[in-house]
Amino acid sequence: MQLAEAVPNPYQPSLMRIDGYSDETPDVRTLRLQFMDSDEARSFGGWKPGQFGQFTVFGAGESVFALANEPWRSNGDGGDVPTIECTFREVGKVTTALRSMSQGQVVGFRGPYGNHFPIDDWKKKDLVFIGGGIGMAALRSAMLEVIERKSEFGDVVILNGARTVGDMVYKTEMPRWQAVEGVEVVRTVDPGGETDDWDGEIGLLPNVFEGLELAPDGRIVVACGPPVMLHYLFLSLGKSGYEPEQVVTTLENKMKCGIGHCGRCYVGPFSVCRDGPVVTWAELNELPKDY
Amino acid sequence: MDRRSWTIDEAEMRHWLQALIDGEMIVVAPVEEDGVVLFRPITSAEQAVVEPSGKTRWSPKEFLFPRSEALYRYRFKGDRVQLEDPPPVGRPQILFGVRSCDSSGLARLDEIFLSGTKDPLYAARRESTTVVSVACSAADAECFCTAVGGSPVGEEGSDFQLVPINDGWMVRVVTDKGNDLVGDTADGWAAASADDLEQTEKIEKHVAEQIERNPVDSQWSKVLEGGFENEAWKRLAEHCLGCSVCAYVCPSCSCFDMNHEANAWCGEQCRSWDACTFAIFTHHASGHNPRSTPQKRYRQRVLHKFAFREDEDEPFRCVGCGRCVALCPAGLDIVDTVTAAVAAIREEGTDAAC
Repeated sequence: MQLAEAVPNPYQPSLMRIDGYSDETPDVRTLRLQFMDSDEARSFGGWKPGQFGQFTVFGAGESVFALANEPWRSNGDGGDVPTIECTFREVGKVTTALRSMSQGQVVGFRGPYGNHFPIDDWKKKDLVFIGGGIGMAALRSAMLEVIERKSEFGDVVILNGARTVGDMVYKTEMPRWQAVEGVEVVRTVDPGGETDDWDGEIGLLPNVFEGLELAPDGRIVVACGPPVMLHYLFLSLGKSGYEPEQVVTTLENKMKCGIGHCGRCYVGPFSVCRDGPVVTWAELNELPKDY
Repeated sequence: MDRRSWTIDEAEMRHWLQALIDGEMIVVAPVEEDGVVLFRPITSAEQAVVEPSGKTRWSPKEFLFPRSEALYRYRFKGDRVQLEDPPPVGRPQILFGVRSCDSSGLARLDEIFLSGTKDPLYAARRESTTVVSVACSAADAECFCTAVGGSPVGEEGSDFQLVPINDGWMVRVVTDKGNDLVGDTADGWAAASADDLEQTEKIEKHVAEQIERNPVDSQWSKVLEGGFENEAWKRLAEHCLGCSVCAYVCPSCSCFDMNHEANAWCGEQCRSWDACTFAIFTHHASGHNPRSTPQKRYRQRVLHKFAFREDEDEPFRCVGCGRCVALCPAGLDIVDTVTAAVAAIREEGTDAAC
């Protein structure tokens, strides 16, 4: 048994060129990346919404971001080029270094990792996407896929919440989502975060969600945001009669290896990078309160 | 495979060890260094401290899972980055004189690093490592292998085993890899008698009697999981300093950190030992920390050893070496903790705790 030679190095990233970027807010940026090696681009298998990747700034370190664009799938002829997008907030060493990089510079990517949103199980159902702040990044891939295949699904409500107007991500693309028939985008900022010309809602996400009075019948709620938001959102959902099986979220724990070895992202027996990050509220209720 | 066994005296064992050292493989064995016994590569059989009992300060895990190692390397070439493989894993090695608890610890590491996506560096080292374990004829004060399902003469994780009997050794092959170690040397050895083999059972019983610890019951895992939020954890973990010596000396702890070590010209993705008892282990970039107190972190370490198992047959991830008990500066004792936690949870009832 020649383990050593049979095992490729899972930690070695693919080299990616920064093809472009958009600044979502003063401290949030969306990068577009393309493979530098055409063989790697050809053999890339794509991803499913909800999966994540490890992004490397050489010299600074690695960070985990959700794969945020519509899933790329090879058309089989090798003619199309995969583009990977990630949205990140400048917070620590790696994200600060990443933020300072320009178009054409080289970063690393390995992935995709983790499980994915069960989008095919949502066919014909009404959907609500609820994203708090940068939490929208983890939902964007699924939202874009659903919008692209809108005829297969029921009504879609997208609830995008931010602390302030300036902190709202994906501002420029929301009108495009709204333009699709059967898609309603609701924007909200925390009280005090509004500006004079703000024309969206003012209120915390769970309250705004309750105000929408969306009946639970068969509807799927897909939510991602800070733990405190999810806590109150689940209370609102419970109050509104939603069953835990109807609610899907993602556990965004601190991760390092991405392959279930480093031990960092455990919630009880659940390794978030390997068994998650996508979980239903029902599954979350089975786990120890350690997230 | 032929489970061959022999009875040899101390001189024959040392002679064999010297032959192994003179061979192609690196031999790593316990040696005394500044009054502390540690695993080190050896160049002569006399250096090895292979006794009927007693253990090294650190487990031998660092010879499969180094404290720090490069996962890959890179060079900056103008605007470009050139990736390079990590340094190759060295010559094949023999870990000689590994206690049964520590060889079980290696089996626990295998479960992490060789499951799912295989770790190539660990896999390469494991492949080129042969483990010669040595059974214990006496327990140290901190030992509790028998309380967690282990045995002082356990063979798990080892390829060849030495059992101390009658001032000499009963030696036996456990795997094909172990069989390869004896070669022609064994031609001059006397085959072990049925009586010699029987002695192994006597040793096991004798050592088990020395270990005055109540066994950790397999069913406690579920109790611990049910009482996750029991108030007792605050009291039980109150003294934990978060120093993490327990995780570092543990033969089965496998958590690691990954960081880039780099300068203007080159760098590497570096993996280092880490521990769930450190404050920033689970600290999110947002500032949120699911395990925000030393108590929550200590609970995680204890439960990861004794709870969250898929079924009752799955071994505990604690192998009972007792190093964490002996070296904890706050005097915390993992078996006492588990026992007390289970008692507290049962007393209050799991419903009250949730």
